[in-house]
Amino acid sequence: MIKQPFYTITIFFLALACLLGCGQRKGPVTGAPDGQGPKIAHAKGFSIQKQGVLTILNVSAPWPGAQKGFTYLLAPKEKLATMRIAAGTYDAVVGTPVDKMVLTSTTHIPALEALGTLESLVGFPDPDLISSPVARSLVDNGQIKDLGMNEEINMEIVLSLSPEVVMGFGINDTNRAYETLQRAGIAVVYNGDWVEHSPLGKAEWIKFFAPFFQKEAEADSIFSQIERAYGQAAELAKKARRRPTVLTGGLYKDVWHVAGGESWFAQFLRDAQGDYLWADSPGSGGIALGLEAVLVKAKEADIWLNPSAHTSYAALAAANPHHRQFRAFGNRKVYSNAKAKGEKGGVLFYELAPQRPDLVLRDLIHILHPQLLPDHSLLFFKPLD
Amino acid sequence: MGGTRPYRFSFVLLGIALLLSGLLNISSGSVDIPFDQVVSILLNGGSGDTWSYIIWEYRIPKALTAILVGGGLSLSGLLMQTLFRNPLAGPFVLGISSGASLGAALLLMGTSLATGLATLSFLGDISLALAASVGSFLVLLVVMVMAQRVKDSMALLIIGLMFGSISSALVSVLAYFSSAENLQRFVFWSLGSLGNLSAGQLWLLFGMVALGILLAYACLKPLNAFLLGEHYAQSLGVPLKRSRMAIITATGLLAGGVTAFAGPIAFVGLAVPHLSRQIFDTMEHRVLIPAVLLYGAVLMLLCDTVAQWPNSANVLPINAITSLVGAPVVIWLLVRKRKMIF
Amino acid sequence: MTGSGTSRLSAEDLSIGYGKRTVVGSLGFDLGPGLLCGIVGINGIGKSTLLRTLAGFQPKLSGRIMMGDRALEEHTPGELSRELSVVLTEPPASRNLSVRELIALGRQPHTNWLGQLSSLDREAIAQSLDTFLLRDLALRKCHELSDGQLQRVLIARAMAQDTPLILLDEPTTHLDLFHKVQILKMLRQLAHDRDKTILFTTHEIELAIQLCDRILIVDGQENPYGTPCELIEGKYFERLFPPQMVQFDPSTGSFKVKK
Repeated sequence: MIKQPFYTITIFFLALACLLGCGQRKGPVTGAPDGQGPKIAHAKGFSIQKQGVLTILNVSAPWPGAQKGFTYLLAPKEKLATMRIAAGTYDAVVGTPVDKMVLTSTTHIPALEALGTLESLVGFPDPDLISSPVARSLVDNGQIKDLGMNEEINMEIVLSLSPEVVMGFGINDTNRAYETLQRAGIAVVYNGDWVEHSPLGKAEWIKFFAPFFQKEAEADSIFSQIERAYGQAAELAKKARRRPTVLTGGLYKDVWHVAGGESWFAQFLRDAQGDYLWADSPGSGGIALGLEAVLVKAKEADIWLNPSAHTSYAALAAANPHHRQFRAFGNRKVYSNAKAKGEKGGVLFYELAPQRPDLVLRDLIHILHPQLLPDHSLLFFKPLD
Repeated sequence: MGGTRPYRFSFVLLGIALLLSGLLNISSGSVDIPFDQVVSILLNGGSGDTWSYIIWEYRIPKALTAILVGGGLSLSGLLMQTLFRNPLAGPFVLGISSGASLGAALLLMGTSLATGLATLSFLGDISLALAASVGSFLVLLVVMVMAQRVKDSMALLIIGLMFGSISSALVSVLAYFSSAENLQRFVFWSLGSLGNLSAGQLWLLFGMVALGILLAYACLKPLNAFLLGEHYAQSLGVPLKRSRMAIITATGLLAGGVTAFAGPIAFVGLAVPHLSRQIFDTMEHRVLIPAVLLYGAVLMLLCDTVAQWPNSANVLPINAITSLVGAPVVIWLLVRKRKMIF
Repeated sequence: MTGSGTSRLSAEDLSIGYGKRTVVGSLGFDLGPGLLCGIVGINGIGKSTLLRTLAGFQPKLSGRIMMGDRALEEHTPGELSRELSVVLTEPPASRNLSVRELIALGRQPHTNWLGQLSSLDREAIAQSLDTFLLRDLALRKCHELSDGQLQRVLIARAMAQDTPLILLDEPTTHLDLFHKVQILKMLRQLAHDRDKTILFTTHEIELAIQLCDRILIVDGQENPYGTPCELIEGKYFERLFPPQMVQFDPSTGSFKVKK
C-alpha cells in the first residue's frame, strides 16, 4: 500500500547516509616509532614519543568514551620544511616553536603562563572568563582577541588571526567549526586535560603543551616541583589525628549533585585525609541525588564544600530552606570555590586548580585540619559570607 | 489558472534584490573588509591572502547555504499551507524539526543513556547532520504511513503535530538529565547555524533542495487544484493519495535537508509564503513557487547579515533573527490589508 | 423534450451508505444525454450520499453504476475527470482566487502538466463566463462575491471542465427565488443546448417538476424515477410528506398547506 514513495525515500535516505559517511577522516596510521619519550606517570590521556627532533603526541582520550585517539606530529619549523608527510598520517602537523596559538579553555592558560609563553596566545573565546592577571592584561591591551563563544567560535576572526594551532576541547567530535579551521590549514589539536581524574594527572598536561614551544625541560621541572609539593602536603596530612566528614554540592530545584567517588575532587579529599561521605560510590562525574538521600547521609557532616555557586549563608538558605538542616550550615563550616574570581568574574578554581593541585591540597588541609597549616591563607576555597 | 506574464517585472526586481542582498551579505562580517576589496576579490578569484580566504571559503559558502535554506524552507512552507489549506501551517507541522531535534538530542545528550550512540561520533561532524536526518526521516515515515490510512488531511495535520509533541517531550527528558556542556551544545544546535558547511555538504544540501523543487513542480496541478478543496481536486482528476505523498516527500527533502545541515530555523517557512501571496496577490503556484524561493533566499541573506553583526566577535543566533526580522514584516502587511485572505 | 440515444449514467439496484450502514437501497435510473434530472426527497434520506457515490467520492455498497458502457469503478481519476464534473455545497478552500482563476481550474483535465492554458482552454473559459453572465466579474476575488454570484462561478467552472455529465449538490440553497429560478433555467439550457446530462439534488420540488426532464424521488422504498408527468400520475408526490401537513395538487404541480 505504501509502496513507491516509501521505497524511493528509504533508498534516498540510505544513499544520503552513505554519502555523508564517505570522505571522513581516516584513522591515523602511526608508523612504528622506536623513539623513547618522556615518562608520563600520572596523566592517562596522552603520551609522548620522540623520534630525533620529532615529537609525536598521542591523545588517547580527548573526551569520555572516545572511540579513537588523535596523533599529532610536532617538528621544528626548519625540519618541517624539508619533510614530506603523507596526508592522513597524522591528525595535525605543527611546526615548533609556535608563535600564534588559540586556546579554548581557561584550564589551558596556567600551563602557558608557567612556561612563559603567554605572548603566543592570540585569541580566546569568552575572554571574560580568564582570571590570571597576566593574561588579563594581554586581553585588555588587545593582544588576546575575543573569539565569541566556544560553541560558535567566530570563524572570520580566527581566520584573520591566522594562528598556527587551535587547541580545542570537545565533548564529542561534532564541532563543525573545527572542520572549517582544518580546511583552512590551521592545525586543530584536541586537549583532553578535562577528562583526567587524578589531581597530578591533570597537572601533568603541562608536558603536553611544552613540545609546542620546545620547552620540555621547563615543563618537566615545573611539574616535578608540583609533584613534590603535592607529595609533601599529602604526607603532612597523614599526621592528622582524625578525618572530618565532608559533603559537597547543593540543591538545585529537586536535584543535589555530589561529586562521584572516583572524581577528581574526591581524590583531593582522600589525599587530604578527609572522610568524603560518597568516597565509595562509583563514578567520576557528579551523582544526582534527591534531598532525602543526602540528608540521611550527610546531615551531620563536619565540613561542607562547594554548595552550588552560592557565596553567602543567606543566599544558600534563600535558595532552599532545607539547606539549613545541615550541621555544617549551623556551625558555619561551609566553604565555596566560587568566591575567588578573576577581574571579570571567571572562577579562579576552574582555571588554576587543575594545574596547581598542590595549592588545592594545601587549601583543603587547612580547612580539614587547621592545626597542621595554621598560617596558610586560602586561595581557592573561601568561607561563605 | 492565470498566466505568469504580468509578473515578469516583479521577478526581475526580485532577482536584482537577490543579487544585492547576496553582495551585502558577503561584504559584511566580523572582520571589516572594505567594499572595494570585496569586489576586487570577487572579480579576481581567490588569491592566497586572509581576506580572500574569508570571502571565498567562509562567506560565500555561508551565503549559498543561506539561499538554499531560505528557499527550501519557504517552498516547504508553501507546500504545507496549500496541502492543509491552513495559513498557520509551516514546514514543521509534520513534526520534521521535532524529529530532527530528537535525533540531534540523542546524539548530543543521549550518550549517557545509550553509549552505543557514542560510536556514531566517529563519523565526525556529519554525525550530527546524519542524526538529525534520521530523526526527521523516521517521524516523516510514520506520518506517511498514517497518510495512507487517513482520508482527511486535517486529521493528518493533527497527527503530525502530535508526533511533533512526542518528539519534543522526549527531547525535554533528555535535556533534564543532561550535563550542562551537552545541554549547551544542543541549545546551540537548535539556535541554527549557516556557516561551516564543507563543499561536499553544500552539494548534498543543494541536491536535496533541488530534488524537492523538482517534486514540487511535478505537483503543480494538484497544488492548484487543492485550492478548491480535496473533493474538487479529486473531481479534477488529481490522484489524492499519490499527490499527498509527493508533496509530503518534497517537504521532507526540503525541510529535512535544511534542518539536518543548518538546524531548525524558525519562522521563514511560515512567513515567506504569506509575504509572497500578499505581494503577488495570486494563488497560482506557477507564480508562487519561484516567488517564495526568491523571497526566502533574500530574507535569509538579510537575516544572516544582521546576525553576523558587523565588526563584533559575537554572532547572534540566526533562529532568533529570522523571527525578529520576519514577524514585524508580516504584521505590517496584515495590518495594511486589514484582513487575511487565504 | 430532448433526450434520446444511449444511456450516459445509469444505476441498477444501487445500494449506498457507509460501511455496514445502508442509507438507501434499490435505487435505479437511466439518464441519456441532454437531460436535466432532479433528485428530490425529504431531509436526511440520502440525496447527498447518492450524489457523492455517483461522483466517486465514496464507494457504493452493492448494485451497479454504469457510465456509458463501463462501470464507474473502472475509471481512473483522470478518466473520470473528463466524464463528470461536480458542484458541491462546500465552499472553495481558498477564497483568494479570482473568478477567472477559479473557472480556469476547471480546465485542468485538459491542460499539460504545467497547467498552461491553450487557446482552446481560453475559449472554453470565455464561454463559461458569458453563459453565466460573469464577464464583468471576471477579475473580482471570490470572497467579494454574493452567494448567488459564487454559485454561478462554481457552476461555470464545472461547465468549463467540459464534461458530458455534471453533478450538483443542492445548487440553489441560500438563494432567493429569482436566483433559484435563474440557476435552474441556466442548467436546463446547458443540458439542452450542449447535450449535457445534468443531475442535481434539491429541495425545490415544485421548481423541479416545472423544469426537469426527469426526477428521481428518493423515498427509501420504491425510489421512483421518471418524467414529472409520470410521477404525478403515479401519485408519488402525495406520499412524500405527511398529508395532514401538506397536500399535493396534481393540477398545478404544487404543495398546499393544510390549515
